[in-house]
Amino acid sequence: MGHVYNIDSQLQLLDAIKDNDSVVLKQLYINNYYKIEALVLKNNGSKEHAKDVYQEAFIAVWKNVKNDQFIPENETALQGYLYRIAKNKWMDILRSPSFKKTKMIQHELNVLDKSIDQNDHEKDEEQEFFEKRLKQTMEAFKNLGSPCKELLTAFYYDKASLRDIANKLKIEENTARTKKYRCMEKLRQLALASKK
Amino acid sequence: MYGETSSIGTCLEKIKKLKDYSNITPELLENLERYDNGSMGQEERLAFEEQLRSDADFKTLIEDIRLTLLGIETQALKERLEEFHKEIPEIRPVEKSTTNVRFLSFTKLAIAAGIIIALGMFWMFSGSSNDKLYSKHFKPDPGLPTAMSSSDNFAFYDAMVNYKRGDYKTAIQKWEQLEKKAPQNDTLSYFLGVANLADKNADQAITYLHKTVQNPKSVFVKDANYYLGMAYLKKDNTEDAKKHFKLSNTANSLELLRKMD
Repeated sequence: MGHVYNIDSQLQLLDAIKDNDSVVLKQLYINNYYKIEALVLKNNGSKEHAKDVYQEAFIAVWKNVKNDQFIPENETALQGYLYRIAKNKWMDILRSPSFKKTKMIQHELNVLDKSIDQNDHEKDEEQEFFEKRLKQTMEAFKNLGSPCKELLTAFYYDKASLRDIANKLKIEENTARTKKYRCMEKLRQLALASKK
Repeated sequence: MYGETSSIGTCLEKIKKLKDYSNITPELLENLERYDNGSMGQEERLAFEEQLRSDADFKTLIEDIRLTLLGIETQALKERLEEFHKEIPEIRPVEKSTTNVRFLSFTKLAIAAGIIIALGMFWMFSGSSNDKLYSKHFKPDPGLPTAMSSSDNFAFYDAMVNYKRGDYKTAIQKWEQLEKKAPQNDTLSYFLGVANLADKNADQAITYLHKTVQNPKSVFVKDANYYLGMAYLKKDNTEDAKKHFKLSNTANSLELLRKMD
């Protein structure tokens, strides 16, 4: 994986995001955090709130970039987009009755897929079902045993080749392939078994 | 693509009915991976797409695997974000050094020089109190906001992140690499100077900061003179410290001058 040290354009930035390039993601994450923290702190929130809302927005942006749902219009478009999504999420929370009562947020993933250009109308059944399954998969993956978790992360998130993974684990490439498949099966069974 | 919830919707009923999820074969998983990363040959790809169109069960299964893959990636990213968050510097970036455009006009320079000559005549010295004064007043420059934009040099801001976290040694190392390529860059020499001073290398700091003040057009001239003053104060060199505080002529410098007298 080549690291992008000079971000010449938004398009390069988008490609790096699609590759889950950790240097670029980290930089994007760190550089844009304070603006959101300032906004949340100024509007009745805490640093904890800022972090939650920012991470949700970041994941939503990442997902939209992955699915080619975001097309940059200028050289800081993505940064602006991230800010707008986080801001809208925070405004939603401020308006929510539960926040007014308790000032607590327990909304982790249910706002995750709501992109700002979508209307806020009632989610249809299919989408709700999809999100529920996604959440179950994420939860299952979170609790998956670490050998499987590391292998699947290396392959599907860090986009490492099977050969590199096999070298690192000092096993045959074919063994790594089989392991990867077994881990997928295990994860899917875990996700299905969870009844949340 | 995995995000298309509408296409998933059409298969909703089937997903609900589909009970046996173990009917994923290693071949199917790998075919999907090759299809998604574009490494499938054209003939195979067309066949794959044809099956997606004609075989509803196949399509459902594929959408379902994609959901698993999205779940893996999203959760992995979520966990990475937690790690990134720990690296956010505690010191808030203060926008001061970029919002105020500072420059040293020639007249100001002449006045400052005049004052120095005049005061130089009866400069006293304050001796050992210099060290106390230094420790009481030294604060590293808050640094530049690390905003990412097209023209910005990524490596420079990468080091700025280390600097803001107080990891001066790493920042110095990274900036020194850049300095080799751009020895005339006043921003680099300024931050190398301040980082070295913060890292208690007053001599190195003085070398770098002198480079910055040699460029009278630099926006860092006043601040560089201030830190030069601090560096000389640290080295108990009252005369040069005063000289550079005078040149700096900022509120901080003037306060230190008052205290030194």
